[in-house]
Amino acid sequence: MSGAEKGTPPGGGGTGASPRRPGLIRRLWNWFWGLKLVRVATSPATSFSLAFLTLGGFGAGVVFWGGFNTALEATNTTEFCISCHEMESNVYEELRGTVHFTNRSGVRAGCPDCHVPHNWTQKIARKMQASKEVWGHVFGSIDTREKFLGMRRHLAEREWIRMAANDSLECRNCHSTESMDLSKQNPRAAAAHERFLFSGERTCIDCHKGIAHRLPDMTGVPGWH
Amino acid sequence: MRPRLLFTAMAVACLGAGALLAQDAPRLRGPDPFTREQAAPPMQRPITNDIRVKRNYPDQPPVIPHAIEGYALDLNANKCMSCHARRFTEQSQAPMISVTHYQDREGNTLGGLAPRRYACLACHVPQTEARPLVDNRFVDMDVLTEPERHSGGRSNR
Amino acid sequence: MDLSRRDLMKAQAAAAAAAAANVALPAEAQNITLGEELRLKWDKAPCRFCGTGCGVMVGVKDGRVVATHGDMRAEVNRGLNCVKGYFLSKIMYGADRLTRPLMRMRDGRFDKQGELQPVSWDQAFDTMAAHWKKVLKEKGPEAVGMFGSGQWTLWEGYAASKLMRAGFRSNNLDPNARHCMASAAVTFIRTFGMDEPMGCYDDFEHADAFVLWGSNMAEMHPILWTRVTDRRLSAEHVRIHTLSTFEHRTTDLSDAAVIFRPGSDLAILNYIANHIIQAGAVNRDFVGKHVNFRLANTDIGYGLRPEHVLEQRAQHAGDAQVSQAADFDAYARLVSEYTLDRAHELSGVPKSQLEALAKLYADPKTKVMSLWTMGFNQHVRGVWANHMIYNIHLLTGKISEPGNSPFSLTGQPSACGTAREVGTFSHRLPADMQVANPEHRKLAEQLWKIPEGLLPGKVGFHAVQQDRMLKDGKLNAYWIMCNNNLQTAPNTNNETYPGYRNLENLIVCSDPYPTVTAMAADIVLPTAMWVEKEGGYGNAERRTHFWHQLVDAPGEARSDLWQLMEFSKRFTTDEVWPAEILEKAPEYRGKSLFDALFRNGQVDRFPLSDMAPGYENRESKEYGFYVQKGLFEEYASFGRGHGHDLAPFDTYHEVRGLRWPVVDGKETRWRYREGLDPYVEKGTGIQFYGNPDKRANIMGAPYEPPAEAPDAEYDLWLVTGRVLEHWHSGSMTLRVPELYKAFPGAILFMHPEDAQKRGLRRGQEVRIASRRGEIRSRVETRGRNKVPRGVVFVPFFDASQLINKVTLDATDPISKQTDYKKCAVKVVAAMNQAGAPAPSEPDARGGPR
Repeated sequence: MSGAEKGTPPGGGGTGASPRRPGLIRRLWNWFWGLKLVRVATSPATSFSLAFLTLGGFGAGVVFWGGFNTALEATNTTEFCISCHEMESNVYEELRGTVHFTNRSGVRAGCPDCHVPHNWTQKIARKMQASKEVWGHVFGSIDTREKFLGMRRHLAEREWIRMAANDSLECRNCHSTESMDLSKQNPRAAAAHERFLFSGERTCIDCHKGIAHRLPDMTGVPGWH
Repeated sequence: MRPRLLFTAMAVACLGAGALLAQDAPRLRGPDPFTREQAAPPMQRPITNDIRVKRNYPDQPPVIPHAIEGYALDLNANKCMSCHARRFTEQSQAPMISVTHYQDREGNTLGGLAPRRYACLACHVPQTEARPLVDNRFVDMDVLTEPERHSGGRSNR
Repeated sequence: MDLSRRDLMKAQAAAAAAAAANVALPAEAQNITLGEELRLKWDKAPCRFCGTGCGVMVGVKDGRVVATHGDMRAEVNRGLNCVKGYFLSKIMYGADRLTRPLMRMRDGRFDKQGELQPVSWDQAFDTMAAHWKKVLKEKGPEAVGMFGSGQWTLWEGYAASKLMRAGFRSNNLDPNARHCMASAAVTFIRTFGMDEPMGCYDDFEHADAFVLWGSNMAEMHPILWTRVTDRRLSAEHVRIHTLSTFEHRTTDLSDAAVIFRPGSDLAILNYIANHIIQAGAVNRDFVGKHVNFRLANTDIGYGLRPEHVLEQRAQHAGDAQVSQAADFDAYARLVSEYTLDRAHELSGVPKSQLEALAKLYADPKTKVMSLWTMGFNQHVRGVWANHMIYNIHLLTGKISEPGNSPFSLTGQPSACGTAREVGTFSHRLPADMQVANPEHRKLAEQLWKIPEGLLPGKVGFHAVQQDRMLKDGKLNAYWIMCNNNLQTAPNTNNETYPGYRNLENLIVCSDPYPTVTAMAADIVLPTAMWVEKEGGYGNAERRTHFWHQLVDAPGEARSDLWQLMEFSKRFTTDEVWPAEILEKAPEYRGKSLFDALFRNGQVDRFPLSDMAPGYENRESKEYGFYVQKGLFEEYASFGRGHGHDLAPFDTYHEVRGLRWPVVDGKETRWRYREGLDPYVEKGTGIQFYGNPDKRANIMGAPYEPPAEAPDAEYDLWLVTGRVLEHWHSGSMTLRVPELYKAFPGAILFMHPEDAQKRGLRRGQEVRIASRRGEIRSRVETRGRNKVPRGVVFVPFFDASQLINKVTLDATDPISKQTDYKKCAVKVVAAMNQAGAPAPSEPDARGGPR
């Protein structure tokens, strides 16, 4: 007689308490200072030539730059995003049930595809903004489902404003207006695109809100009842 | 009298029950024999052609001829109303929700969608490309009320 | 037409008054200036589908139903129908309607191994009667049985009960409502001494909070859901909490979606009771005056076959229904184990959600309506779950007043009316009386005017037991009416089908359509449905409502009522009643059962002239008396003056239903409370008068685990159920093209991560296998139902994907209702990587090991 206790626990709202690990920054900090290379590098130079230090510095710069970009790219993956449970059990859980996750041809849009600009300068700007999310994670501002739901309108609005400001740039990385074939769209979509999108009167996010995640309370949002 | 002829024809058809039973319709009657394992046919694709479908009678809620996948219908938002609410129909060119949808339980007309009508999908359903398993011999009232305008017997699609 | 000014003003005034009251004028009045050709004849009827009991207006032209719409005058639904209700016009017109009796024949004779062929009614009835007589003679009344329905009209159930109990002297009569709400019905009696809710649908407009326990109302009771959401969206303070094992359309419109591990609702319920006690929120005055405490026997098994190891191991499998008197302290001690931590551990529900729920019930200022359906009732501890919700409402005194209402929803249009009130369960007689009670039997014998001692006192086989007894060859003559049990019974491949094909048994199935069950039967009788006959249903809020016959059934199809009465003509009392009884009552000798039961001076006392003009009534015209009225009035005599009062027959054809008890022409909306219920004595405040001491019972019971849970091999919970567009096994809705095309086949709802782990993707064909059997289906990782990891959901309407080949035939040991919500399965791709069918070895031993 096994009983319910043996059963696989349901994911449900996904707000079950997980063991509290040290914060992300502390983890990174400990790891960084624990590296042998770092400890050697931080001790003063005693017997190297100026040329070595100059050329070495240049080489180190190249390595550092490459490393920076590699690290940056590593943070630019869905896997990185959902390593925080706030992301995994809320927004990612919802993404799984949408056409951006599974579809006819198997092209999947992960978190950064829609939420991180592809252009370098804007990407860095977005990453700097993201430090606020790290802050939020460290201080647990969205560590329960209830808190997430309470913040949802605020979070969504930030993305709507950002995407409205950049003319839905991330949508257009895949869905460019030039590449659209109206004859392949259903008549309702084709008519709307012709009238509002191609004319520049509206941008993608104006109509396509809540396509990858559930919507917040839409009271007062233009175009919603 | 055409209706009477129609009934006679249908009565004759009904008597051929034995013939109908030979049809293969496991979705209605189960596998034959019962213990046999039945393959599951592919899931059906939704109809999204935006073509309005005739109602079977005036009070039938129209079926939805477009995709609704992922449309919000919860306490936060009602996506259907973004096109079908009176105020949005000019830009959406979608049919307005019917006047009955403005009435509360007591029949008072309200200033907007009646809360009791909020769950659109309880009455309006999308359609898939699935072909009906068996003919339905429902007769459209037009055939009976205005027989002179109908050349055939049954008009039901 | 020349109207005088006075006439015109009168007509305008009437129209204005009608508009103000929002009453649709009769079609005749509206269409008066239009051509005769356009005129439709409109009549009222209740909907044919669920237990909500919506009013429908049916438009008829030239003998055919051509339109239906929601009845504005029906209080239940005020003009609304759900999508199924709106398509009622088409349910009778599937091209494969059965129009002639069919019988398995070979070489021109009946042969169980033969093919179904059209025969005459006489041939069918003769074959049946010969078999019935042979079985009765050789094996006695316990070898004949009937499986009926909560979709039978009141008089069909009543006639069946009379024929089976008084005619054949067998209590082997059970309705499919056993699978549907037996747990609710049994617990009502155990708690209040009387069946059915104390409240009614008016509670929807009075409650401050709604708590749904295992009920997806948005799909299963859509019109009642409109009343809940209407209240939620109209009054800002109102909240909805929905408890379920997965998210669905109801949770979409709920303030809290409380997703718990299957079976752990018992722990949550006990935690709430504990919180109420700990927080000092017990209504001491109410509890002191109106409540008794009892403790239930525990470790009661799972209603499996007695030789099953789980039954052998259970301490109280044999006396599951027994309970002991206790007091508040003993009850408080029992539930004190269910702390917030324990409830959280067992259920997996976040503590914040559990606390919010408990506070809602504990707050004396919040009026709470609790609603439940199959999640509670189809539960191996369904009776306990029902008890536990009453415990909470009784502890707080939140009961029997507008808005404070524990309310059991029902699944079938007359689950209350026919299955419960008329008494078609194997243990029941009309008006809540029990076959095992000699006093009740005696009263029934008097009212039925049959010899004393005729009625059998042994409780008959319940639904699942009937299947087992057919398989074991102990039940040999079996009539299935108005249900599709081969599709809907649990573990059907191992426990139901073998009994149908057992060569000793004759299986008769009455149905309008060739269903799975009909196709496996030996004789198939074509049945008139819905408005093809005069009918009466009783809905979940004690509302009795009638309809007239509006059109004729096709071909030779006849109502179940006609079939039952006609069959009774083929037996005489000498053939089926014991000689010693006839010796004492010689006046019954040589009578046909028809004469003894239906032409008894009571059922036949209303002349045809009592019938409303303008309506066909096939049964009455054939027998020469108003059959339905006679049966109803005889049946009503059981309950009048005993808290089950029904109005006179003719009243129900005028009104949109009335909620019993109907006393002095007035219906009762809330029972057991002074001023609202005429049966409550002045100055008492509350009387639960179903029990001799007029108190209700709080029943303490623990959490006990389900019969089967996922393990390493069968690693998923299987939950089965319905979808909005199809009703039960789909025999009506699948034949309506629009409903079929809306949801054309069963699918397996699965969490995307569970699919990914198994290498499955949306739309892929899979095998769903349990220890009982397997079926093939397609994976759905999106859509209306969002299941958590570890849980899958499959609807049961699709006859090509018979999920009940997979389910377990465990029942609540007290109510004998099946648990369709909890068993263990595995899901694998239908094709392995080489493209060949994947091997599978279902273990057909019919139970968990």
